[in-house]
Amino acid sequence: MSVETVSSVLFASLRVTTPLLLAALAGLISQRVNLLNIALDGLMLFGAFAAVVFGALFGNTWLGLLLAMLLSTLITLLFAVVVIEFKANLIVAGLAVNILATGLTSYLLVVLFDARGAYSPEGLESLPRIALPGIDSIPVVGEILSGHGVLVYVSWLMVLVVAFMLYRTPLGIHMRSVGEHLEASETAGIPVKRVQYIALLLGGALAGLAGAQLSVGNLTLFTDNMINGRGFIALAAVFFGAARPGLTAIGCFIFGMFEILQFRLQTATSIPAQLPQMLPYLIVVVVLTGINLQKRRRKVVKAE
Amino acid sequence: MTDGLKKPDEMEAEVQRKSLILSDPLKATLVNFGKVLLTLLVALLMGALVMELSGKDSLGAYQALFRSSLGSRTALANTLLASTPLIFTSLAAAIGFRAGVFNVGSEGSLYLGGFAAAWVGFTFTELPALLVIPLAFLVAGLVGGIWCYVPGVLRARLAVDELVTTILLNYVAILFTEYLVNGPFLLPGVANAMTEEISLAARLPRLAPPSQLNASFIIAILAGLIMVFIMTRTRLGYELRATGDNPVFTRWAGISVPAVIEKVMFIGGLLGGLAGAGQVLGVHYRFVAGFSSGLAFSGMTIALLVRNSPFGAILASLLFGVLRSGSATMEIFSDVPRDLITVLEATIIFFAAMEISIKFFRRRRHER
Amino acid sequence: MTYVDMQEISKAFPGVLANDAIHFSVEKGTIHALLGENGAGKSTLMRILYGIYRPDEGRIFLDGKEVEIVDPQTAINLGIGMVHQEFQLVPSLTVAENIALGHEPSRYIWIDRKKMKVRIQELVDRFGFSINLDQPVVELSVGAQQYVEIIKLLYRQARILILDEPTAVLTPQEIERLFSILQQLRDEGRTIIFITHKLREVKQICSRATILRKGKVAGTVEVAETTERELASLMVGRQILDIEYERSRNIGDVKLRLEHVRANDDRGVPALKGIDFEVRGGEIVGLAGVQGNGQSELVDVIGGMRDAEGEIYLGSKDISQLALRGRRNDGLAIIPEKRKEQGLNLATDISENVIATRYFKPPFSANLAVRPEQAERFAASLMDRYAIKAEGARSLVSTLSGGNQQKVITARELADEPDVLIAAHPTRGLDVAAARFVREELIKRRDEGGAVLLVSADLDELFALSDRLLVMYDGEIVGQSRPEDTTYEEVGLLMAGHTHD
Repeated sequence: MSVETVSSVLFASLRVTTPLLLAALAGLISQRVNLLNIALDGLMLFGAFAAVVFGALFGNTWLGLLLAMLLSTLITLLFAVVVIEFKANLIVAGLAVNILATGLTSYLLVVLFDARGAYSPEGLESLPRIALPGIDSIPVVGEILSGHGVLVYVSWLMVLVVAFMLYRTPLGIHMRSVGEHLEASETAGIPVKRVQYIALLLGGALAGLAGAQLSVGNLTLFTDNMINGRGFIALAAVFFGAARPGLTAIGCFIFGMFEILQFRLQTATSIPAQLPQMLPYLIVVVVLTGINLQKRRRKVVKAE
Repeated sequence: MTDGLKKPDEMEAEVQRKSLILSDPLKATLVNFGKVLLTLLVALLMGALVMELSGKDSLGAYQALFRSSLGSRTALANTLLASTPLIFTSLAAAIGFRAGVFNVGSEGSLYLGGFAAAWVGFTFTELPALLVIPLAFLVAGLVGGIWCYVPGVLRARLAVDELVTTILLNYVAILFTEYLVNGPFLLPGVANAMTEEISLAARLPRLAPPSQLNASFIIAILAGLIMVFIMTRTRLGYELRATGDNPVFTRWAGISVPAVIEKVMFIGGLLGGLAGAGQVLGVHYRFVAGFSSGLAFSGMTIALLVRNSPFGAILASLLFGVLRSGSATMEIFSDVPRDLITVLEATIIFFAAMEISIKFFRRRRHER
Repeated sequence: MTYVDMQEISKAFPGVLANDAIHFSVEKGTIHALLGENGAGKSTLMRILYGIYRPDEGRIFLDGKEVEIVDPQTAINLGIGMVHQEFQLVPSLTVAENIALGHEPSRYIWIDRKKMKVRIQELVDRFGFSINLDQPVVELSVGAQQYVEIIKLLYRQARILILDEPTAVLTPQEIERLFSILQQLRDEGRTIIFITHKLREVKQICSRATILRKGKVAGTVEVAETTERELASLMVGRQILDIEYERSRNIGDVKLRLEHVRANDDRGVPALKGIDFEVRGGEIVGLAGVQGNGQSELVDVIGGMRDAEGEIYLGSKDISQLALRGRRNDGLAIIPEKRKEQGLNLATDISENVIATRYFKPPFSANLAVRPEQAERFAASLMDRYAIKAEGARSLVSTLSGGNQQKVITARELADEPDVLIAAHPTRGLDVAAARFVREELIKRRDEGGAVLLVSADLDELFALSDRLLVMYDGEIVGQSRPEDTTYEEVGLLMAGHTHD
């Protein structure tokens, strides 16, 4: 285990954390207005799909990115209307979005590109990487932090943006208010529905971005099941972080690191691929259990 | 979050629905059936829209679909075949939802149970059918049940959200069985990852050749009837209904809500395991990687559509069986990818979810 | 000078006429009481004034000008503010953030905190109360939280303040503090509407009172010229007959005993700090105390729904480790505090509700199966015995009135003649007839030899029914006495934490 290995693991972890982090921020904002967003997986899938398809269609990855955010925001709008106006069950509507995403993206992939399961357009460039001037020359730290795709830096920037929004702007205060005490928000004259819509739509955009990072951030490839439950891992990170931006980001990084570790395990050893692949999911379940165990322990009466 | 405690609006709608059921059961059944049909109709229209927009002939596609699912004796048999695993998974979802538990883990139980059944089938080759088939189902059910029991315990005792854990564990189960079938149990010399075949004795009899419809359909129907009995006339049924309606009250009455949740999750997993066993012992005669295509999610869709009634789940599974069995032919003859069915299912869920509230939405306008 | 004038206000909800042609007017710069029992229509009327409801009929005038109050925002803009019984405070937000909620002064897109705090500090200092503006509101005491609510109204420049049962959750000392603040506000020229059902308070600070009874105005009086008895009779519509219940003639063995019981509340803070008491067969022990001093946690612990240290005995049997089902089997019954949440399954019918504690026993259960016909028969007999008004055993419990719902719960808990009955606020929110019914059932159980623990916020009820009175404060039993050996004032002081010399 050399310094190079550690720094390369950390570098890759940061990359892999990005979609988790963006999706987790989306989930966090929804959670703050007390609307659990189960649809993250599906929204990410829509985003990943749109980034590749529109990127290929217009020959421009940035346009693909933009349209990815737009598409997932539109789908979120549908979700939001069904849940906020029609008062449909949140979980059910979220699952519907996920199922819709799987079906529609597979359907369109065949219909538009005659491709089943995977699609990689010729000549579509992935998003650019950035070398941080100054930092990239620092040994070790430079290797870890510099040279990432642009969305990697954006995702960490978003952590600060979201934190700022939640704690320092009226919108953020209103969101927290709506999430913690709906009646108080109503009597204070806060436009509750508007706040909920904004929260969900912001989340939708972030989730679309998360999906785009997966499909055009590193390579340019869309596969049928590329999200693979990351939306739920992101949600678990939100629970881990108690919907606080900083803590949630740490959770995302931990889970991202496990994703890389399992991949390294695959290549470094002769363990069959599937077993390490199980690791990230199991870790998340263990972490969630651990969090609740800890909460419980605090409540137990202590002998005096 | 995924609490059993319904929101007041949902309770209002439940009250209305139940008042109808109690006052005029016949009318209630007709109304419910009508609602299901209406939702399906809307979904079909949606599907037609999607097809037309992507340049496909929706009418031709639907014709191909319905002809190959209803158009002949074999077609009907194939429909029943397709509905078999759906009956199991929709019952699993229904019993969970009714108790306020979002058990999405039947996919994982399906894979693990299916593999367990295959293992019994190709290991105990000396046993006669009368012993090996029940044994395989028993083991499959137990394995599937335990698989969902674990997240059930985590939910019941530690309030760990079961929706997230069961979905994550599904991935684990799929990966694990993939490992098994690609590794220690791989049948050498074949392109696809699959295990060896089960013994002849372990195979479920076919009911209507040349269709693959087999005795697992009968088992599924039986399971459904048993679920009806459990839900309406047993102590567990009372407990799980009370837990789904109001877990706080249930606790104050002295009922152990954690125990109910654990039992319900176990039963859900058991049904998933049986579904897998049915597929392995009745259709494929071996374990093949990736043999399920979103059966658990479809089961959930059905349960939501019929509002967790086990009897309704059986009927709706048959309807969904029509869609599934016809989709392969539709793909071949009309060039419409079978993923359209998934789109239809999503539409159904959206409308089932809204339907509860449309009535309430209208009432709300008169308030104030 | 009339400042608030509500004329001919009517408002109906499905099944009940909450306000019936009410004429309500308030003079400027006074504290005006709105008096009535539970369900008389006081809250509804004020919610109309505050814009939460729209009246079916009637007009509202402020300072002579007609106004239409379509939502709380409009009311706030007109200078009307309301402090609800359940505080409208967002837990994780600070005092300042809560006060300015919805009206945050902003600079570009972020909040101008300095500006926000300056104004608030001015208001806070005015009444000599010190509060940390940056403290999350969840960490404050109940009295402090209410103070924040009042400052919130002043921040929005309310000229008219409506307070809905503000003293329900306060200690007597906090009540005094509240009254001095209200008097100061009145002297500044603000108009205060004080919703209450406590006659003593009306006499203490209100100058006029409007009494509502069953949706109508029963009278509007000058408080100075009216006695408490007269106010009370306007409230209930007849001369109050002090119903005297006889004390128990036959007190037997100890049926319930708690020893050194300690427990935490939901936040992990100690709520019970060493509780010792016992209840004997044939006696009603009343537990008095301001809400939030451990009573709810005590009931939880007796029911086995909260981890606790110490011992609990049912008769001579130690049930401390036993689950609730076991305790019920050993003769414990509980009428829980929250009727709809803890006492009933609103989604189903009467028969399913009454078998909740006995569905697993014969004759309701045979092998695995539960027999609905037996349940219905049982329910029908209970409906008969307890005069529960409904169409039948299959009537949905959610369609019953509050009183009938409470009867369903009472019937269910008393049907097996439990040795020990815990009754937590059993008459809360009930009309006079229903309340009297429940109290008589408690007396009956006592006379049959049962042990009854009555937890209540109603001192009248406690003094009338208890053979022995306990007072709870801050998780401890701070006083014990027979009702005839003590006074309301003494009990009140104990409730507020004063100890005897």
